[in-house]
Order: sequence, then structure tokens, then C-alpha cells
Amino acid sequence: MDPKHIRNFSIIAHIDHGKSTLADRMMEVTGTVKARDMKAQLLDDMDLERERGITIKARAVTIFHEKDGETYMLNLIDTPGHVDFNYEVEKSLQACEGALLLVDASQGVEAQTVANAYLAIEANLEILPVLNKVDLQHSRPDEIAEEIENSIGIDATDALRVSAKTGLGVKEVLDEIVNKIPPPSGDPLDPLRALVIDAVYDEFRGIIVYLRIVDGTIKERDVVYLMGTDKVFEAVEIGRFSPKMVRINVLHAGEVGYFISNIKSLGDVRIGDTMCMNKAKGIEMLPGYAPPLHMVYADFYPTASGDFEGLREALTTLTLSDSSLDFEPVTSDALGFGFRCGFLGLLHMEIVQQRLEREHDMDMIQTAPTVTYKVRMKSGEEIEIHSPGALPDPDKFEELLEPIARISIMVPSEYVGVVMQISVEHRGDYIRQEYLSRNRVQIVFDVPLAELIYDFYDKLKSGTKGYGTLNYDLTGYRADNLVKLRVIVNGKDVDALSSIVHFDVAERRGRNVIAKLRKDIPRHQFEVPLQAAIGGRIIARETIRAMRKDVTAKCYGGDITRKRKLLEKQKKGKRRMRSIGNVEIPQKAFLSVLGEGEKKK
Amino acid sequence: MRQSGDAHCASPDLINSPAKRAPKGTPLYVHLPFCVHKCPYCDFFSIVGQNEDHEKFLDTLLAEAEIRAPRSPRTIFFGGGTPSYFTAPQLERLLAGLERITGYRSSAEEVTAECNPESLSLEKAILMRELGVNRLSVGIQSLNPATLKFYERPHSPEEALAAVDAVRTAGYERWSADLIHGAPGEPLSDIEHNIRQVLDLGASHISAYGLTYEPGTPLYASLKKGAFEPQDEDRELENLAEARRVLFDAGLNAYEVSNFATNGQECRHNLNYWRNGGYVGIGPSAASHVEGTRTGNARSLGRWSRDVLDKGAKPAWSETLEPIDRLGETWWLGLRLAVGVDPAEARALAKWEGPDPTEPIRERLLEQGLLKTMENRTYIPESGLALTDYIGKQFLSPGA
Repeated sequence: MDPKHIRNFSIIAHIDHGKSTLADRMMEVTGTVKARDMKAQLLDDMDLERERGITIKARAVTIFHEKDGETYMLNLIDTPGHVDFNYEVEKSLQACEGALLLVDASQGVEAQTVANAYLAIEANLEILPVLNKVDLQHSRPDEIAEEIENSIGIDATDALRVSAKTGLGVKEVLDEIVNKIPPPSGDPLDPLRALVIDAVYDEFRGIIVYLRIVDGTIKERDVVYLMGTDKVFEAVEIGRFSPKMVRINVLHAGEVGYFISNIKSLGDVRIGDTMCMNKAKGIEMLPGYAPPLHMVYADFYPTASGDFEGLREALTTLTLSDSSLDFEPVTSDALGFGFRCGFLGLLHMEIVQQRLEREHDMDMIQTAPTVTYKVRMKSGEEIEIHSPGALPDPDKFEELLEPIARISIMVPSEYVGVVMQISVEHRGDYIRQEYLSRNRVQIVFDVPLAELIYDFYDKLKSGTKGYGTLNYDLTGYRADNLVKLRVIVNGKDVDALSSIVHFDVAERRGRNVIAKLRKDIPRHQFEVPLQAAIGGRIIARETIRAMRKDVTAKCYGGDITRKRKLLEKQKKGKRRMRSIGNVEIPQKAFLSVLGEGEKKK
Repeated sequence: MRQSGDAHCASPDLINSPAKRAPKGTPLYVHLPFCVHKCPYCDFFSIVGQNEDHEKFLDTLLAEAEIRAPRSPRTIFFGGGTPSYFTAPQLERLLAGLERITGYRSSAEEVTAECNPESLSLEKAILMRELGVNRLSVGIQSLNPATLKFYERPHSPEEALAAVDAVRTAGYERWSADLIHGAPGEPLSDIEHNIRQVLDLGASHISAYGLTYEPGTPLYASLKKGAFEPQDEDRELENLAEARRVLFDAGLNAYEVSNFATNGQECRHNLNYWRNGGYVGIGPSAASHVEGTRTGNARSLGRWSRDVLDKGAKPAWSETLEPIDRLGETWWLGLRLAVGVDPAEARALAKWEGPDPTEPIRERLLEQGLLKTMENRTYIPESGLALTDYIGKQFLSPGA
């Protein structure tokens, strides 16, 4: 298709502001998907995504829209809506010329929306503000339009007003996409250049590469070259997403589609790479994506030692569909061989863990997440550590530095006091505060990233009754009075349970960890002493009493099957545990280093 | 009303294969679910209500017996529910019907019926004895009125004593008392008091249970709501030790975790469960174990009736264990017995012929002092009794 009739766009929205619903409605209005085939939120095709109502992986779909007697090809490249997935958002935006800024007209602008809108502005995209859920009685479109202007600085007077749920205004949005978003600039007659925007692994067909054709065309049987990985492949099949994969003969400049070549090796495809014709001369690589910034690290250890290779295989497969995940082998005294993984954030970590368990059937222990610390050694050398266990002896280093996050929180004004208090309790430094509208405020703090992952987010959510949203950027490192909090179980130091904490709160955190471990570690046939220590000084101790009674009073003919199954289940529950010395520690105990109270899900 | 014979005749043309009859002599359990009141700690299948049609229940039960009950059972146990809740004519109909079907009166060495003080009359006791019941198990639970109130028992201590009187007058040589210890606030001295009174009245067998809060029972719900303060673990251990002390002093043996008897007075029907033997259970919720396959009836009167009458006594569930798992099960159950398990006998019962997978488990537990051996048998020593489940579950699924 002539590039003049193509529009590539994405939708920027906060969780629950209706992005997937709007996408569904666009497909329905244009007849891309017949009404009877609609299942809610077509684009979220991972189980986890639909369950959580959030988009994790970018997805693409091609829609054909008629306007003034002409047919336009609109390529929607879906973007994730959570702070952890900024990296995926950047990738999606690279392949677009415009973006819909979708805001819930009853909720208003959220921190995440602002962050993603700035990413779109940086990528020079045309931004179309759209106010959703205007059918709701308590929607406030005028006020929200003002919020958009105040927080993002774009004109929102003509913002489209829609209801993705009822379909109101959806056709107008499609028309505006054609009117306002510029067509792609590439020339179909130039030599091929295509951007690898995503890749997923398919058991039967190998790797499916998502492409945005920038220049030229690609046809089946073309032999192509991936410039970054230096690999040659033949196009076995190409096609577009509607939203299921549909095979076609050719993809032209400006279009979005897929490429299959029975690629089996996971290392052969790198997202952000440039694809050109094999043996083409003088092709310039497209600007690649910025490498992902890992905010938190955690270790995964297989529960049964034999699963180590299986875990490696599973992680390797995951990195293919999640290029932001990073991992390397580690060894722990207590837990044996495992992998240290770098994540974009806490949600990302949780999702990786669940995908490993669900999609790859991995049974594993995950340690509490930690940030990357910098250690300035007395020798003058500076090292980075990704786990408390790696911290050198205190007399060997000069300073310990921790990453600082600049967080921007948006809340209704009545919660300002609560937010201030939570920030101060988490060693936050106040930066500034701005009113976005009469009753919505943006507050900016600098907070150590470690505090953010400790329980800041949980506290913010509960303290603001769910209204507070936050976004953060890393601003740098700062030295502070940080110490390693050791945890000793039955006389053995357990590195996987230790953490780096600020000296002033070390005692309280130590008592919390020990109190939680006492609840989480099951009773054994012997007493299990638990201690927390800083250096050689014990700051908290408790004892798990020996289990002394475990006996069923009645067990007769009618009880046997049921009771046996119950006991078998108890026995099985032990599989997700690791033995350290002769103490069995369950998975949840490894997360006890996090949070003040019970960890909320 | 459907007659029992009709159901039997109706079954062969159904697709669902009717249950296979267990070998002659197999022990028989009969579940009689009706009760005056549901005790809040009880998790057996029971029904409270005057509106149920008991005659129709007996029709269905006898129909099931026609299809499944073994001929000439060695032992019979009438459990519940409350078997004594039935009227004398109903009990007569039940026993006469079973005699016609199984011929137990010439085969069974032990026929036990559970009964409760509020419904056991001298008339019923005599009638049952005349029809071949030779052992009664009386649900006394406690002789302290406050404790009986907490258990919501529909009888007083005096009524319990009167029931025992009826048992003796009717001429039963073998009778057992059920007692429960561990009610919130129950004084430790009640344990000795209850046991001594019951023994003084001539019981040759006592089941002394620690109170258990079974999930799904009303008592469990009250506990979770914080309606009362349960006894703590230390006290429960003290209760167990106290009950054993008093019973040993009186000359009874602890032959199972909660069961005590003078020499030769053990319940033979129940011993068979712990020896992992076969048995057939009829009535709603009753379980059976025939030639390595365990089955169970529906825990619902309506569904059980349909399964019996329309489907040829089709069980609601069924499981067949692999030899290795059956071996683990044999150990788990057998270790509840004071005499423990003979490894060779266990292997033979489970039809396991390979190297014994329980050996490393046994060795580990022997080392920890949680098992002991004497001649061919391995058993849990006194000091490990309170950990019987912990020890037993080490043997389950030994191949996993």
C-alpha cells in the first residue's frame, strides 16, 4: 500500500483507562474482527495479561479504515501501561508516527500517563488526546482536558470524547488518526530497511519476528540479513496481524507485520536490530533502542538441584519475548547454583516469576529483590554489587552508595499530607509540588530506590486508598550510612535473607524480618533459633519452638483416603522449600526481608 | 415405594457395571447417618431432622446390601450418625434384613453398634443383642455437664450412666466408651475422673480422643472467630500423657493412638483398618477397600440413593493405588498401632517385590529416635506418639 495511506500509532494510557477496550472497539467498528469472535481484550493474549488486566508485551494489529472513499491501513502497536514496562513502551513508540493519549475522564491524568507521553514527545510523535469513559455520570472531561494541558503541555481543547465501552466516538478517533497523524516517510522503492520491534517464540514455527518496514519492501523467499546479529535468513512466511497472523506476499515501507524463517536459536534475533537484503551495500543501521535499565535484582534458585539447566533454558526462552530481562549464573552458600536476574521493576519481577512457573513449570525459590549498590573501596576502586552477600568487609571500603529515584506522585489534594509522611518515613527528600487542577496535585521527591522496593508502593496505595499513582526515574547515586543486616538461622548465616539497610532503621527492620521468619518457617522436630545482626552485634532474636504434636486422633475406614491425601499434600508443600543446614525454609520466607507487615498481593 | 429386591433386579440392564461383590468373610461397615443433633466437632456425614423417611432409607440400605454386602462377614460395625437413633422396629428390620442377605449371625465374631445415651433404651439394647450385636460403643465423651454443654451433647451425665446401666442389664460383656479430652477450660483432673468412672462401670475398651478442630465443622468456625480460647499444645500433650497414665494404671493397653483395651478386648473390626485390610462399607459416605481399590459412597442422602437404586450401587469415587503407594499407606496406617509394622508383611500385602523403598525412611527415623524395632516389627515408641502423623507421612508416596 502507498505509504500515504498508512498510519502507525500506539495508545498511551494508564492501567484501567480503557486502552484494550478501545483497541477492541476499533477492530470491531472496522470489521477487523467480527462481533461474534470478540472476546474482551483481544490484544492481551498472554493468560497473565488477561488475568491482571494489564498489557505486558507490545502487540500489533492492522486495521483497514474507510474515509472519504479511500482505504487507509492503520497499524496499532499496543504498549504496556505499567511503570515497569517503560522499556517496552519506548520500543513501540519507535515504530510509530503518532500516539493516542487516552485518559479516563473520570479519573484524570496519572503519573504513568505523563511519563509515557513524554517518551512519545521525545520520539517526535504526533499526540492526539482522547478522553475516555465520557458516558460515566461522574466524568469531568473539561477539567481533565485542563489537567492534560497543565501536566503534559499539549493543547487538549479539541480532545476527542469517547466511550470505548459503548463505541461512542470511536469512528471519529479513526478519522482523526488519518487526519492528524503523518504517514510514514519511507520509500517502497528504496533498499529494504526494517526495524525488529518484537519477537515471540512459537514452539512449531520458531521465532516470529515483528517488523516495521522503514524503507523498501520484503517478499516471501527474500534472503535477508540481520545487521546486529550478523545472521542471514530466508523469509519462509511474511504477513500481518489482523489480529491473528494472516499470510501475505509482500510488506511495503511503512507497514507492520511479521517474518518467519524457522529461526530456532534464541541468540539470533535482537530487538532493535535492522533487517536488510542479504549482500546489500551501504545500508545504514536504524537507531537501535536504548538498552533496558535494570532497577532491581533478585536470584532464582531451582528447588530440586537437577532443575538448574531447565531453569537456564526457561530463562533463555523468556528473554526472547522479554528482551528487558537479564540473567547470569550465581552461586550461594545456602542455596547452591541459581541465576541472578535483572528486572525493570517489581511488577516485572513478579511477572517473570509467574511466567517461569506457569509457562515453564519451574519450581524455584526467589530471593527478595535488591538494588544495585556502588562500593567505593579504600583502594580507590569502585565496584557494583547486586546482592547483599557480595558486600565486602566494612573495613575494606570507604563508602557505600545507593541509587536514588526521583519519584513523581499524583494524588487528589486531600492526600498530600499522607504522601508527605510516607515519603519522609522512607528517607525521601522533598523537591516540589504542583497543582494540576483544583484538586489534583503532583508531588516530587527523591527517595532511595531501595525504599521504593521495600514497601513504599504498598504504603502509597493503601495510604491514598488507591488514588495515588507514581512514576520514577533514576537520578544517580548517593552515599549514606548503610549497613548489612545479617540473618542467622540455626547458627548459620543465610546470605539470601540478608539485606542492606540504613543504620537508623536497622534495628527495627531486623526485628521485623525475624518476626516474619518466625511465622513463615514451619516448626521442626527441634528448636530453630533466629537472629538478626549488624556486624557481630545481634540486634534481634527469636526461637521457633520444636514441633511437639502432630497426630490425628481418629482414623477409621471412612477417613483413610481423605486423611492420606491431606498428609500427602502437607508433604508436597515442602517441595517449594530449600533446606539450609537441616532447616527447611519456604519460598515466602525469602521475601520476608520486604515490607513492614504482611506482603500484600 | 421401591422394594429392595426391585433395585437389585433393575441394575443388570444399566451400563454402569454394578459393584463387584467382595470375598466371603470381608468385614462390613454400615453407616447410619441420623442424629438428634449435630455435635459441632463432628465431621462424619450425619443428618439431623425428623422429616427424613427412615423406612425409605432402610429400603435403600438393604438394596445396597443386596448388591454389595459380603457374605458371612467376619465383623460388622454399625457407625454413624447414631445407630441407636432408629426405633426398635427399624433396628429389627435392618438386622433381620442383613442377616437374610449376609448370614452374619453364624459368621461374625464381633458385631459392634455405636449408640448414644439419649437414644439407647434397654429395649433397644436387648433387641440388638438378641439379633446378634455383641459389642456396644457408647458415646459418653465426658461426664462433666459443662463440657457436655460445650460439645452440645443432647444428654446429661446421668443419662449417660443410665445408658451404661442398660448396656449392662442387657448382658453385653464387651462394651466401649468414647471419651474426648481437651475442651476449652476443661480441668486436667476431668480426664482421670471420666476414665475411672467409665472403667468402674465395667468398660473393657475406651477410645480416648483429643478434641480436634476439623475444618468445615461448626466448632472450627467458632474457633476461627475467636469464640473461645482453645487449649495450647503443651496442655494437649499433657492431656495425652494423663489419659495414658490413668488407662495404664487401670490395666488397659494402648493398642492404637486413641484406643485402649484390656487383653483381648481390642476392636477387631477397627484393627483391620489399621492393618490395611479389605472391608465393605454401605450407606451414604461409607468407604470400601476391596482388593487394593478404595471406593466411597456419596456424602448426600439423595445422591447415594440414586447411585444405589438407579446405578447398581455405583460408588461416588474410586482410587487404586500403585503397589509402592500401597506400601507407604500400609506403613502410615500400621504405625498407628502399638505393635507397628512387619516390613515383610507390609511388602506382601502391597504386592511389592522390589527393594524396599521404606528402608531409608525407616533408617532416618530410627536414627532420630522416632521409631524403634523389636524382633521383626517397627513401631513408634511412647516418646514419638504425639508425632505419629509426622512419622506416618514420611512413608506416604515413598517413590516420589
